[in-house]
Amino acid sequence: MSVEETGKLSKKLRLTFAVATVVCVIVLAISPLKDFRAEWKHYKRWFVKYAESRPDTKRLLADYSPNIDQIWLPGMNLTDRCTTCHQGITQPTLADDAVPQPFRAHPPVPHHVRQWGCTTCHRGQGPATEVSEAHETTLAWEKPILPARYLQASCGSCHQADLKEAPQLARGRELLTHLNCAGCHKLNNVDRAALGPELSSIGYKVSREWIYKWLKEPRTIVDKDGNTTVNGYESETEPRMPKFRLTEEEILALSAFLSVQKAKPIEIYKINPAVVAAWSKRPDLLSQGEVRFRQMMCTTCHSLAVTRAGETKIIGGEIGPELTKVGSKVNEEWLVAWLRRPNSYLEHANMPRYGWSDEDLYNVSQYVMNKLTDSDLLSNVPKLDAPAEEEIKTGKRLFTEKGCASCHALSGVAPQKEFGPDLTALGSKNASELEFGKAKIAHHLVAYIQAKLQDPVSVNPAARMPQYNWEQSDLDAVTTALLSQTGPAQTSDLQHLVVARKDAFFQPVGAFAQVYERYKCYVCHRFNGYGGTLAPDLSFEGSRAQKKWIADFLKDPQTIRPTLILRMPQFNISDKEAAIAAEYLTMAVQKADVDPESVDARQFTPAMVSLGKQLYELKYQCQSCHTIGGSGGYVGPNLNNAAGWLTPAWIEAWLRDPQALQPDTIEPRRNFTEDEIRALAAYLMTQRTGIKPLTTKTAAITRSLTQGEGR
Amino acid sequence: MKTTGAMLGALLCSAFCMSTFSGCKKAAVLVTPNQAFGSYDTEPDWSDSTKEVKLGYQESQGKRIFYQYCVWCHADATPAGPSNRSNLTPMPPLMNDGEKLNAESDEALQSMIALGGSALGKSAMMPPYGKTLSVGEIKAVIAFTRAIARPTYQARGQVLVPTVVKQ
Repeated sequence: MSVEETGKLSKKLRLTFAVATVVCVIVLAISPLKDFRAEWKHYKRWFVKYAESRPDTKRLLADYSPNIDQIWLPGMNLTDRCTTCHQGITQPTLADDAVPQPFRAHPPVPHHVRQWGCTTCHRGQGPATEVSEAHETTLAWEKPILPARYLQASCGSCHQADLKEAPQLARGRELLTHLNCAGCHKLNNVDRAALGPELSSIGYKVSREWIYKWLKEPRTIVDKDGNTTVNGYESETEPRMPKFRLTEEEILALSAFLSVQKAKPIEIYKINPAVVAAWSKRPDLLSQGEVRFRQMMCTTCHSLAVTRAGETKIIGGEIGPELTKVGSKVNEEWLVAWLRRPNSYLEHANMPRYGWSDEDLYNVSQYVMNKLTDSDLLSNVPKLDAPAEEEIKTGKRLFTEKGCASCHALSGVAPQKEFGPDLTALGSKNASELEFGKAKIAHHLVAYIQAKLQDPVSVNPAARMPQYNWEQSDLDAVTTALLSQTGPAQTSDLQHLVVARKDAFFQPVGAFAQVYERYKCYVCHRFNGYGGTLAPDLSFEGSRAQKKWIADFLKDPQTIRPTLILRMPQFNISDKEAAIAAEYLTMAVQKADVDPESVDARQFTPAMVSLGKQLYELKYQCQSCHTIGGSGGYVGPNLNNAAGWLTPAWIEAWLRDPQALQPDTIEPRRNFTEDEIRALAAYLMTQRTGIKPLTTKTAAITRSLTQGEGR
Repeated sequence: MKTTGAMLGALLCSAFCMSTFSGCKKAAVLVTPNQAFGSYDTEPDWSDSTKEVKLGYQESQGKRIFYQYCVWCHADATPAGPSNRSNLTPMPPLMNDGEKLNAESDEALQSMIALGGSALGKSAMMPPYGKTLSVGEIKAVIAFTRAIARPTYQARGQVLVPTVVKQ
């Protein structure tokens, strides 16, 4: 190699070396530049600028550091760097909507961010330092931040007991129980309680045609113009039975199988022939049946479609089934047997056992069979023959395969266990663990849950889950409740913070136990936290009401609260049963510190009464909510018969602190002096313009006279 | 050789530049949680049923308390159906009556609810709720009133502090 050539090479080498050096310097320079331009630093600098533009700069920047901020709670396995960007989260002056995000303060909530971090409630990726990584789904992290709409789900991960602050979660849990989701799915903290009716003897109750119609299209109500106003599958006030997407053959087989279920013969009751003979001569008795139906307040639990001013509406309670067309559904012998003894057909029926005279029983059953009907109900049902052996066999197989046994008990068919997937940890699932099928929805847990609930086959064509119909608010509530199913807490620190749910149960003893069970008091009333919420809580009834009043009320319930539409049914309770109930309620269910005997009404003087009247009418103007005489408000109970109803001890205790006796009452606690309390009690104990006490028989007669026109 | 080196350099340069600038591009996209993640709760606009008012946490707590305690006299429709409002003289204002309530300060509403009408020389039919509701609960109700006010309340969205929500 000549010198010249060597020189050329070294020149080339030098040039390469120079280029490489420049590249190296650039590479070295990029790293700090990239660090300087990191996303979180941008927010750090912006916050300083923002704080400087405000008058309270000093306070806002008091604990500012240019580095990453984090909340580290080792016991909860939590490292949240959210406060790196959300720097004003605990600054009360930054609460305004006008403050740009991410600097706005957190609204005041019971859990402080320093003690609980952010991701405990909001989820998302706590240690992330980039906006998208913290909030969204990335390749490495699939638990994005929870949309604000469903935030209450996080309350439910620890609070197994219902929280009044989280009504959406409570509604969702109520729906999970009401729709018996636990029949097929394993769910944490949700009871498997509300089963559909037992079908062991359904063959006595309805025809094969009706079963066919129900499976195909439950509960259709058409108004006078022929428009469908209620469609079991499509309207929002739907029955609990969802749509199962059955084929014609499957419906035929299931209706065949069910129509032959006659495990326990019904008790056929022969109504006095004289009553039946009288009926055939008196066409007006049909309206008598309607009158009794209304008087007994069947509509407190059952609803009917009512057409008023051209508009068809479902009116009535939701405890029992809707009855608009029940006359075209059930067999008359079954109806009479059911009305007499609901428990002998369905062991756990909620329907009370009314006291029936033969006249009442016949009149009401005739009214139901002749008036609550629809001659077109079964018109589009094909002619069905007696069920063939083969159909019955297929029907039995389908009954198990379709999951019917998860909600309906049937003798000879064992209820399925773990028929649907376990959902106890659904709320903490990654999107990649879910089956989206061909659904064109966001790959996100919330989107998945909503799609699955609205149309199960949209995400999985082979889904066995039936289709429900949701109002938007209910869909959101159920989604929230499902998102709260996050499995066992991650760490022991969280585990011991879980707030357990209290399970209450109330079963009286002695003679009242039978009355309690016969009239199903617990379906509407609550006793020590157990029972329904439709009617007043009776846990302290013994301190509140006088014994005689309770007995009279049970025989002839009159509404105390003027705004109520749903009222206590008239059970035709016997004098003896009323006495037993009154005795038990006054003696056994009292508030410990409100002894009904402790205040004697005889000590009240006329001076106290007149002071009380003044306080009631002028100083405190109680008439804004309560009625005495003909005038007053509708919010609180009518006090016309306070002296015949309440004990003076209760009135005084109530005026001192209403919430101590009934925590959620809206009557405010006030600053009454003891003298004022005594005077008000004295005044109320002069109000005695109540209903005359009646015997069972005269009560029925008076009602039919005064309310003969119905409501 | 020369071209190889230059090409290598250019490639490296562009790769690093891209990675650097892709970072700042992301920073420019600002996430506004209220838009991206929905509102915590909603209430139908009382004057226009086709519209909805978005509620934050405090306002939503106020809504719950309102529908338990206040709705009976301060709305025309109640969960039970009829309202007690028309039954009272003077008639209590509707809770969304901005013309009446927007002029009142938060402090005035706070005392009105806590001390009742008679303490402020107004109708004694408004009872005092100061011993029944906590300060935080009353503030929540005021926040809810501000949210549904028509005409709109100007300083809406401001969380009323200091607030301790009663547990």
